[in-house]
Amino acid sequence: MAIVSNEDTDERSQALIAGIEAIRPTYVLELPSSNLKAVIQHFLEAPGVTTFPVPREEEGVGILAGLVLAGQRAIMIIQDNGIGNMLTAIATFPQAYHIPMLIVVSRRGGLGDYNSMIHNISEHVEKLLEAANLRYFQLDGRSPIKLWAPTVVRAYEFAKITHRPIVLLVNLMGG
Amino acid sequence: MSGQVKMEVDKRLQRPDALRIINDAFPDQPIVVTLGGTVREMIATCGRRPNHLYILDSMGLVVPIALGLALGFDNDPSVERVVVVEGDGSLLMGFSVLSTIGLMRPKKLIVIVLDNGVYLTTGGQPSASGSTDFVAAARACGMAAQMAETREALEVSLVGGRTCDGPLLIRVPVGTVSPSTNFLLEDPVVLGEDFCRWLNSHRAGSAGIVSNKSTGV
Repeated sequence: MAIVSNEDTDERSQALIAGIEAIRPTYVLELPSSNLKAVIQHFLEAPGVTTFPVPREEEGVGILAGLVLAGQRAIMIIQDNGIGNMLTAIATFPQAYHIPMLIVVSRRGGLGDYNSMIHNISEHVEKLLEAANLRYFQLDGRSPIKLWAPTVVRAYEFAKITHRPIVLLVNLMGG
Repeated sequence: MSGQVKMEVDKRLQRPDALRIINDAFPDQPIVVTLGGTVREMIATCGRRPNHLYILDSMGLVVPIALGLALGFDNDPSVERVVVVEGDGSLLMGFSVLSTIGLMRPKKLIVIVLDNGVYLTTGGQPSASGSTDFVAAARACGMAAQMAETREALEVSLVGGRTCDGPLLIRVPVGTVSPSTNFLLEDPVVLGEDFCRWLNSHRAGSAGIVSNKSTGV
């Protein structure tokens, strides 16, 4: 019985791409992510968008904050096993200074993951975010596909309206 | 031995002097200022200035923030340069940013490293800067880079930074003389908002328009 098909993952990737495109970003910062490779590749090739790698999540938080202060429409894409790296950076700058930003975070460590240890951090991401008072929203196998793209846009707008970083957890594997 | 205590006079350029020179060179451009003691000395030396973004506690994040600003203003003629005043300890905490600067090559970015070789604010513990060639590292990452060891050399470097496109890193060895200063206890939201208001006013003034938006996002 096929629980998650490649078609499911591809459909969610395309929905995520549509949502990010609807934000009309001028910059997309990214850390490598196997689950998000189609999304990252799309924006690496997209005209009018400067997409570039950052070597660490906390560095990305700083660059993203600077871009936002300069009036740019920018987002960052990372994996959830890097959440721990960026918590101090998030707490001491964008949270403390009320700088809005959207960080799209790919879930790992769940059903269908091949990695034998990544769940040690990935399973605790919600608790880590809650402890850091960092608001998050979730998209996964329970979310109707038609809601994916609008949720990305609403999360971006919500960050601006509430003057703070917002994390959007996306599980392309489903669960 | 005469029994007299020999007093060593620190003849190096001191951090407050360097901060004054930097402020004077860029009175109308955004300056991102690093952390604790440097922020307090900048305010004690030059006053609270709206074009300065004071980073209170985000060690390792100061240059990345300036990199984001410089990228964001890359095609905005109202902003000529984005200056960041960084310390050796904070730069070392986020050293990978030099590689990202080399990748993105923001032409308006000037990174000034005030290198006193210690974590002065926390009691003077040594940093690894003594064995790290910041200038060579920056060049290896694709930046222009130079050393400025005296007041005159720093002034010349800053003039060069104003006139020639970067990204540029200037390493400034400084002493550890640090005046007594007051803590900066303002709400960081106010610090960020003041900077944003100045940015918008500066940009609107250059464009001949008026905007009440406090942030451009």
